[in-house]
Amino acid sequence: MIKLQGLHKAYGKHQVLKGIDLELPKGKVLAIIGPSGSGKTTLLRCLNLLEVPDKGAVQLGSVSLSFQEGVKLPFKDVLSLRKQSGMVFQSFNLFPHMTALENIVEAQVTVQKKSKHAAQLRARSLLEKVGLADKADSYPNRLSGGQQQRVAIARAMALEPEVLLFDEPTSALDPELVEEVLKVIKQLAAEGMTMVIVTHLMRFAAEVADHVILMDDGHIVEEGAPQEVFRQPKSSRAVQFLSRLAE
Amino acid sequence: MSDNQIQIITDSFWPLLKAGVVYTIPLTLISFTLGLVLAVITALVRLYAWDFLKPVARFYVWVIRGTPLLVQLFIIFYGLPSVGLTINPFLSAIIGFTLSVGAYGSEIVRAAIISIPKGQWEAAYSLGMTRWQALRRIILPQAARVTVPPLGNSFISLLKDTSLASAITYVEMFRRAQQDVARTYEPMLLYCEVALIYLLFSTVLSTLQNIVEKRLDRSSVS
Ligand SMILES: Nc1ncnc2c1ncn2[C@@H]1O[C@H](COP(=O)(O)OP(=O)(O)OP(=O)(O)O)[C@@H](O)[C@H]1O
Ligand SMILES: [Mg+2]
Repeated sequence: MIKLQGLHKAYGKHQVLKGIDLELPKGKVLAIIGPSGSGKTTLLRCLNLLEVPDKGAVQLGSVSLSFQEGVKLPFKDVLSLRKQSGMVFQSFNLFPHMTALENIVEAQVTVQKKSKHAAQLRARSLLEKVGLADKADSYPNRLSGGQQQRVAIARAMALEPEVLLFDEPTSALDPELVEEVLKVIKQLAAEGMTMVIVTHLMRFAAEVADHVILMDDGHIVEEGAPQEVFRQPKSSRAVQFLSRLAE
Repeated sequence: MSDNQIQIITDSFWPLLKAGVVYTIPLTLISFTLGLVLAVITALVRLYAWDFLKPVARFYVWVIRGTPLLVQLFIIFYGLPSVGLTINPFLSAIIGFTLSVGAYGSEIVRAAIISIPKGQWEAAYSLGMTRWQALRRIILPQAARVTVPPLGNSFISLLKDTSLASAITYVEMFRRAQQDVARTYEPMLLYCEVALIYLLFSTVLSTLQNIVEKRLDRSSVS
């Protein structure tokens, strides 16, 4: 389902990803943890080409692309990879000039060329799934952070992507709103949605993930099932990172 | 004030107002509409077009903003005929004002587009939209709201600036007042009268502008 090989990314001279190899089967959940600045967001954004890798290969669903320095990818390929995933951002990024329903309808109509009616039907069922059926006609500024993020999750699922990508989906939320978003994500995991989740919440990662990777300075320094990574970390960097969290 | 002066004021009021409604306002509306189209195109070219087009747009904005509108109108109306291009006063005025709104407006539109947070682009891209789809559906509608106050001001400025068309013999409201002055020798009265009519027009427009802004604020987005 997801396969990364030798992924490199630099901003100018600053190497941020220094060769990432990774595989995730369909229906599994991957949690990415690690200290700030280790490259977690960059890795996630390389999966849908919001950042284009310098080197390496990305396979997502049925599309695989390889990257070489100085070779520009045809935009058609960029789009086809992007359509394999949906992304949920830390700061929601809902379209403020559209209602919750319109946010979810939008790409179905402009990108998928679905009829408005069919798009609305799907949007309503997605809103129901995230527990916001009654907020269909609300604008984002009338919704709480937790509600906005749930709409954003519904929007990310609107095009039936193979994979959902989350970048710290709860870190912009007030503590009392975190749980309602986590609940939706856990429910999706239980339904067999393939997901990649960057998070600082270790307990949540342990609970929801099938596979955890710990990043440090552009490398994966530890990976495995949550019990292994959290209980018996092998690398010294992982031991250090996890013990600092435990304090 | 003599009876005769009062007579002159009342006699000229309706014809002046009519000149305003029939000539000044259409001139403003047409130039502004065309100017807006030009402004959006210019802003988009400066931001997103092929590199060879960007300097063309920058040059246009630089020239228009750096020279007096009156001089531009003179070049169009009095200058172009000597290179074989004769344009009637009305069209000359439209061209001059459109170019002006296009240049100043493009800066407003460009600033508004730039002000939309990067996350909006990223959300659109992550849904598989192309740049043009993201612009049209996500960015421009939000940018349009940002431009309402400054463009409202441009519109009111333009309404007043159309009086410059009098200098290229287009008989709009101010030139009509000049003609009345030539007939009656009452410059103080008539110029104050026409000033009052401009004031009336721009006050109505400011009020409209306030209403629109309040509406937008209420359905506001951030
Ligand atoms: N657009 C950019 N231009 C230049 N440098 C960048 C850019 N984005 C990220 N970086 C740098 O790349 C490194 C990795 O950033 P990244 O956002 O991937 O880290 P992260 O692991 O997500 O951190 P955090 O936990 O703080 O979100 C950081 O040093 C950051 O400063
Ligand atoms: Mg990050």
